Amino acid sequence: MKLVLEGSHAVSEAVRLAKVQVVSAYPITPQTHIVEALSEYCSDGTMNARFLCVESEHSAMAAVIGASSAGVRTFTATSSQGLALMHELLHWTSAARLPIVMAEVNRALAPGWNIWMDQTDSLAQRDTGWIQLYCEDGQEVFDTTLQAYRLAETVNLPVMVVLDAFFLSHTFEPVDIPDQELVDRFLPPFSPRIALDTSDPFAMGQMAPPNVYMEMRHDIQKAMEQVSGIFTKIEEEFTQIFGRAYGMVEKVFCDDAQIIMITTGTAASTCRKVIFDLRSQGEKVGMLKLKMFRPFPTDLIRKHLGHVQKIAVIDRNFSFGASGIFAQEIRAALCNNHDHPPVFGYITGLGGRDVTPEILTEIYWKTKNCDAPTDESVWVGLVD
Amino acid sequence: MTTQPKHAEKISLFISRSNISTEINKTGTWRFMRPKYNEKTAPCSAACPAGEDIARIEMLSNQGRYQDAVETILLENPFPSVCGRVCFHPCETVCNRARLDDPVAIHALERFIGDMAIKDELTLKLKNSPENGKTICIVGAGPSGLAAGYFLSQLGYSCDIYEARSEPGGILRWGIPRYRLPDDVVASEIERIKKTSVNIICNTPVTQKFLQDIKNRYHAFFIGCGHGRSLKMNIPGENMAFDGLEFLNLLRMGKVSPSNGPAAVIGGGNTAIDVARSLVRLGTTTTLVYRRRKKDMPAFKDEVEKADEEGVSIMELYSPLEIHEDDGEYVLSLQRMKTSGMETDRGRARVVPDSRIMQHLRVRKIIVAIGAEPSTLWQFPSRKNAETLCFSHCTFTASKPPLLFGGDLTNTTKSVTDAIASGKQAAMALDIFFKQGRHAIADCLNSCLVGNGPALSMECYMGGNRLIRNPQIVSNDDINLDYFFRMPRVQSELLDISNRLNSFDEIESTFSTNQAMEETRRCFNCGICNACDNCRIFCPEIAVILQGGKRKINLDYCKGCGICVFECPRSAMSLEEEL
Repeated sequence: MKLVLEGSHAVSEAVRLAKVQVVSAYPITPQTHIVEALSEYCSDGTMNARFLCVESEHSAMAAVIGASSAGVRTFTATSSQGLALMHELLHWTSAARLPIVMAEVNRALAPGWNIWMDQTDSLAQRDTGWIQLYCEDGQEVFDTTLQAYRLAETVNLPVMVVLDAFFLSHTFEPVDIPDQELVDRFLPPFSPRIALDTSDPFAMGQMAPPNVYMEMRHDIQKAMEQVSGIFTKIEEEFTQIFGRAYGMVEKVFCDDAQIIMITTGTAASTCRKVIFDLRSQGEKVGMLKLKMFRPFPTDLIRKHLGHVQKIAVIDRNFSFGASGIFAQEIRAALCNNHDHPPVFGYITGLGGRDVTPEILTEIYWKTKNCDAPTDESVWVGLVD
Repeated sequence: MTTQPKHAEKISLFISRSNISTEINKTGTWRFMRPKYNEKTAPCSAACPAGEDIARIEMLSNQGRYQDAVETILLENPFPSVCGRVCFHPCETVCNRARLDDPVAIHALERFIGDMAIKDELTLKLKNSPENGKTICIVGAGPSGLAAGYFLSQLGYSCDIYEARSEPGGILRWGIPRYRLPDDVVASEIERIKKTSVNIICNTPVTQKFLQDIKNRYHAFFIGCGHGRSLKMNIPGENMAFDGLEFLNLLRMGKVSPSNGPAAVIGGGNTAIDVARSLVRLGTTTTLVYRRRKKDMPAFKDEVEKADEEGVSIMELYSPLEIHEDDGEYVLSLQRMKTSGMETDRGRARVVPDSRIMQHLRVRKIIVAIGAEPSTLWQFPSRKNAETLCFSHCTFTASKPPLLFGGDLTNTTKSVTDAIASGKQAAMALDIFFKQGRHAIADCLNSCLVGNGPALSMECYMGGNRLIRNPQIVSNDDINLDYFFRMPRVQSELLDISNRLNSFDEIESTFSTNQAMEETRRCFNCGICNACDNCRIFCPEIAVILQGGKRKINLDYCKGCGICVFECPRSAMSLEEEL
């Protein structure tokens, strides 16, 4: 059934239909609506789940780590400072191989205080061993949350479902919310490979000396390397049931494009219009929407971008002293390819500033009119 | 669909996992701080002149353990019903709960317990000391003498109390009006004292001669005859004024009849307020004249407020100059006073005449209550006498036989509860003297202080559980306020003003059981373990164990993180450096 929902509630509905058993979260704008709805579902019996109130995001993650270790399906959500506070436990989650799913609403970090869209919070957690999936609209964030459980529980790695503050979290759109029965067909009850059991006690996560630690870390990477294959299979099953698919990356007019713009999140929607407009003017432009950031889809990047003339990466984030983070990753993916195209990095839309069609059009023309990048990053739309 | 994730078998999952018990890892070796159960002293109990174990009494009441609550209170105070009515409750002033909302209604709860003890005939099932064959003579059956007898009998002594009047009780029976303290309450609590080895002999004034005659029949003497004689104003026409104590006395004897016509009461102490409020009840328009400011009055604040409510008009800063008769009425001439600097010793403003401003009150009756002194001529031992030991609430002279003075004769604060404290201190001092000698009295008394004193605990003196209580007083910062929520203080029902003025009926009613239950829930139980179990629930090492109803710390595993101490809402635990 199609409902008009805000992006936050699309997540809540997916969590409800995923029959999550333990939710723990600490409220932070713009994440609050997600867990607000879940706390009501937990208290009114809509969900047969425990909602654990905690005093911080660090504790929220600790609580779902405990619950997940005991073998139940868990959920948490956060944003910005909250995610930063969780940092220590993000490492723990992946190294303990716990299939926790978290919604992360992209919000700028303080100071100055800013509650609006910015990707630096989630991208700063790229080395914590979490799978990261960036979503474009309400339907995608609903579908991705369901897929995230299948993926996490298959590879025993945690998944972060990332959505833009306000542009997605607080925007109402029609979202198809399927029946429980259909969701159950796609997502069976969680059957953990390891779970704490009081009748057969054992300890987890204890000392790992030098002779095993490195192998454990390598094992996480091996699991990460299997993600793309498994994600594809899971999405095939998803498509069979629900008729929708997104891919780890989505290419739009890429096949004959000379310049490809790389976007993520809601900016991809704006970019679609820009591409259409430019195409109608005869420009050979394409767009690659990056949905999966971890594991980084290096093969797909090489395949789709290896032979274009120029690449323009739109980053709503920044790594100080370096460049936009998506641009860094694209460059890294391509650098061992012989004769790879130049990567133009553009910084725009930080702290909730709109990424308008005009800005994206400007980026296109800048890229077209430059033979090679003059800087690692060009900041677009700065006010003097 | 399968319930087993399809790709599970292919994904390797190499994590650290062990089936060996972690008990081998004695995490206690990491510890450098050690938690311990360390019950401390609640501020209320340290402020109580009688040293009642209030935090514990409220806890027991809240648990419905009324017999235990009554016993706990009677260990320290034979007069809970009386004190629950007339004590000035310094306990409430220091209550930690005041920082959250309002102090616990300790005063009303004491009355509830006291009345329940009377109604249900609950008494102390005393593990009395065996009778030791010693008999003590007590002069005066007021609160200090009765308390001395009560506590001495707990310690194995027999006591004869000589009382000049026809009934025991002193100020309780003769000096406090019925609307504050009904007769039956006093009688019931004295009745309970009579059931111990205390013998009260009324209608027997003790003169110096009588004292000589009986000197050899007793092993010691306690003099607690109180302040029965009023102070004089030393102004012309003073003989036309009536004495306040005498007025209250006649009132209690039923010898005062209603009168119209305005009256003036001179004084600012409790007796003056009692007189004024009694007059109002007799239908008399009453003006209270006080030479200092209203806020300097030594009377209890509550009482002054109630006098205000009941229509006593208070003239502050007027000092009586002269009384003369005029056409069957009296004219009271008053000098206007003004403040002039502070009196350093008592913290109130010094007053001096304000030029020539005068006022004249025309009244039918003038009653003076400006203070009192001992009514009988006693040879009081000089405080400078090297033989005499002076304590906070009594003096002790090791004559043969030993002689002790107490009650109003020695107390700085002249209150009923201080009089009880005096009886207790005297009983303990005497017992220490007989058992260990004069030199041991001071140290031994000090070992029984509640908190920093001066209140003493008979339970401690008799070797009870309270001995292990840390004298450290629980401060507001020691309370974990996260565990307490604002709750309105339970108010006892009050007679409305019109009904008050028609009779001498008691103004306040005693809490119902439900009210008491609700109010005891508000008590933080500062410093006392009430078995909330937070320490055990929160211990991350499961190192708090429950054995036979008692909590213990398993030091093999306790890492000394201090969570148990932090989560203890009431500071019944402490964290100490490991030695």
